[in-house]
Amino acid sequence: MTQTPQFQGTHLFDRLCWAKKNLHGVQSDYRVVYEDSVDECAKILVPDPNWMACALQGGILPPVWVYHELAKDEAQPDFKKHTRGYLLHNTEPVEAMTEEEAIEYLIMKDCPEQVWKTYNKGNRQTMVICKKEQLPQSREWRNSWKISQVAA
Amino acid sequence: MAGKIIADTLEHSTAGSLDTQYVVNGSAKSWCNMNGTGTIAIRGSLNTTSITDNGTGDYSVTAVTAMTDTNYVCSSTSGQNSGDQISANNNLNGSLARTTSVVRTQCQRSTSDNALDCGVVETIRMGDLA
Repeated sequence: MTQTPQFQGTHLFDRLCWAKKNLHGVQSDYRVVYEDSVDECAKILVPDPNWMACALQGGILPPVWVYHELAKDEAQPDFKKHTRGYLLHNTEPVEAMTEEEAIEYLIMKDCPEQVWKTYNKGNRQTMVICKKEQLPQSREWRNSWKISQVAA
Repeated sequence: MAGKIIADTLEHSTAGSLDTQYVVNGSAKSWCNMNGTGTIAIRGSLNTTSITDNGTGDYSVTAVTAMTDTNYVCSSTSGQNSGDQISANNNLNGSLARTTSVVRTQCQRSTSDNALDCGVVETIRMGDLA
């Protein structure tokens, strides 16, 4: 197995370039289906193969709380530009994850916060993790798709 | 042999010189090529965490390393085999303003503005990283 260099303090983009050169992409079968608005159809989150390879390798990606800190900064009404980008590069990278742990990380990074914090608290479940094969095979009526509460 | 060249300027014998910051700033910081039909999937990418299927012809691409602000350049193109003329637009909907890490691309038939799933959707971002 390829050894990850000591990356703490290395720009995250440089780490990604290293990973693209040295790691094989991993196509995950997992998909995250979520609803973040009653007026919109269900959305489907697909992990990137290069990113998944980084997550499984370990020592490359920053902890997910770093992204939450940057999101807080960006949510400020007077936000102009990121001034704490160093958190991405200087925070100790996370250890190797399993594919399931990587999906949990991805949900907390890329799904809206109100979805993953409250997905099972209302009248209907608004997020499910499934396998690719469990999704409809045709995109007919795509803009009407909702999460089946029987399956959830 | 692995190596590193540290230089502020590249100089050609006759054509002049170039500050290497233009090379760095002029490089794509994120790109993604996806199949936007069926169960959407990524064919190739750099600096991408995930893609999201938001509906017919409507996709989001999320970066691993965010841009420093929202004033970056993003370009998307799309195509498919049906012969339709297609336009790909980024962040059309004002309520879905771009963030430093997410770009939303919507593909439409040029002739009717109807949303359309595309076999090839490509997104590229240039600018400064956080």
